[in-house]
Amino acid sequence: MAKIVVLGAGISGHVAASHLRRKLSREHEVLVVSPNSNYQWIPSNIWVGIGRMSSKQILFPLEPLYKKKHIGYKQAKAVTFHPEGDKTEAKPYVLVEYVVGDKKGQQEKVTYDYLINGTGPKLNFEATEGLNPGTNKTYSVCTYTHADHAWEGLHALIQEMKQGKKTKILIGTGHAKATCQGAAFEYILNVEQELRRHKVRDMAEITWISNEYQLGDFGMDGMLLSYGSMTMKSHEMIEMIFEDRDIKWILGAGVNKIEDGVAHYENLEGEYKTETYDFAMLIPSFSGHGFKAFDKNENDITDKLFKGFMIVDADYTPKPYEEWSVQDWPETYQNPSYKNIFAPGIAFAPPHSISKPRKSKNGTDITPAPPRTGMPSGITAKLVADNIIDTIKNGKESLHHKGSMGNMGAACIASAGYGLTSGSGVSITTYPIVPDYHKYPKTQGRQLGKTFGEIGLAGHWLKLALHYAFIYKAKMRPFWWLIPE
Amino acid sequence: MTQRISKYQRFKMMNPILQFFKFIYLSIKVLIIVAGGHGGTRQVN
Ligand SMILES: Cc1cc2nc3c(=O)[nH]c(=O)nc-3n(C[C@H](O)[C@H](O)[C@H](O)COP(=O)(O)OP(=O)(O)OC[C@H]3O[C@@H](n4cnc5c(N)ncnc54)[C@H](O)[C@@H]3O)c2cc1C
Repeated sequence: MAKIVVLGAGISGHVAASHLRRKLSREHEVLVVSPNSNYQWIPSNIWVGIGRMSSKQILFPLEPLYKKKHIGYKQAKAVTFHPEGDKTEAKPYVLVEYVVGDKKGQQEKVTYDYLINGTGPKLNFEATEGLNPGTNKTYSVCTYTHADHAWEGLHALIQEMKQGKKTKILIGTGHAKATCQGAAFEYILNVEQELRRHKVRDMAEITWISNEYQLGDFGMDGMLLSYGSMTMKSHEMIEMIFEDRDIKWILGAGVNKIEDGVAHYENLEGEYKTETYDFAMLIPSFSGHGFKAFDKNENDITDKLFKGFMIVDADYTPKPYEEWSVQDWPETYQNPSYKNIFAPGIAFAPPHSISKPRKSKNGTDITPAPPRTGMPSGITAKLVADNIIDTIKNGKESLHHKGSMGNMGAACIASAGYGLTSGSGVSITTYPIVPDYHKYPKTQGRQLGKTFGEIGLAGHWLKLALHYAFIYKAKMRPFWWLIPE
Repeated sequence: MTQRISKYQRFKMMNPILQFFKFIYLSIKVLIIVAGGHGGTRQVN
């Protein structure tokens, strides 16, 4: 009998736990430890942030589901890792701290045979002075509570515009090394469409601010994609959309300080500039959670497990951009020092960024961090679960299931406006996610055809269909496993 | 505002009938790309 502990119940943690439970007999224990009592379908936060969906529509409580499906659950957060146990506990364990109820603040050693770290990112607002959602007129849509606040702020602004106030809206990244440009991109287009719906579009100047070198970089070094019968660069496609929607843009901007209605940033030219606004949604930098790890003698071994995020089977040797290769990217998400620990989704430490690293003339790194969207998060979680299942069933280590982001496709169905007949979506797929410049030297590291873009109403329907399909899947309704990650 | 998307293109992008077929096409295409498999990179090269 084996005990598998899953930390986090986001896309990766929940996918791993549900597959483990489905494929392993009841003699094996699956236990989820997560501080948030709800599962949230994060991609739909965009629509919560424009008031077109309520947060209730994108979340459901985890405990009743886990109870019904015989998955153990502790509403707690991981605090420290002890992969060798300690002087009094022979088994490896994670020290967790309960976050609610009578046990709030109490700590407990949760032992495991296999550990899946699906704790995703820490939303590192502190890395940018003054960037704190709900203050200084800045908001976030990274969680459903943030998205609710963002809608409150935007709604109030729309009322002011209806009274005749001219406003400035700033949306993008709030740190020189932020990622998740795709979410900000969706939000800016949705906000723009909502302003038109409320007939106040002419009252607002909308500006995109981003650490990307070019539009459409998305932390993925941009893309060459098929668009209808044409082949287009992603920056050309996004430029076309922004010009069409009358959205201005500021690129190569490392936002470093926020004051009430003022964003301070440094650009790649080394200039220090400011941009004023009445409403801003800026994505913070993502970091690891700052976990510590200890060996059985209680010596600090954090650097065996973490490099910000969790260390896995990537090649972390520092090398120049020209020498980066897809082989640097992990395949099994297994920690090399402790083979029973895995980190799928955003929780693993990437070997380097995907976009070409750039510094300002003052030496400040202004480069998007590599995105790990929902699809790779789900795929990597499932393959980790499958390897653990095979290992348990075969009685010896099996790492048969592999999924490098250099050999995996992803779809980004970006909402460009909500509405059953007036909505729009920008559907982009890339294959592979991490460009393979050796395999596809002439097409910017990706396969044309499998890397394509489409704009239109169908994209909105697809995004909506994915919303319902993935919530159905997450609720583990009949035949949920037939829906791919 | 620079009109970068022509009226005809916009009509195609927003026409529910055309877009219904596009939806089917996109769903299948996305499924093929995403569910079409993944693997390692190290032995391949
Ligand atoms: C606004 C927005 C829109 C997005 N839109 C899309 C999209 O359209 N398509 C797409 O593919 N991707 C999208 N993404 C990205 C996608 O949401 C992420 O890739 C995905 O959520 C990552 O999954 P994860 O499980 O690794 O991390 P998360 O989803 O962040 O889950 C982490 C989990 O760990 C838990 N946790 C945190 N700390 C601890 C701790 N100490 N102990 C235990 N548990 C802990 C959290 O409570 C949470 O349950 C979007 C992201 C954002 C922010």
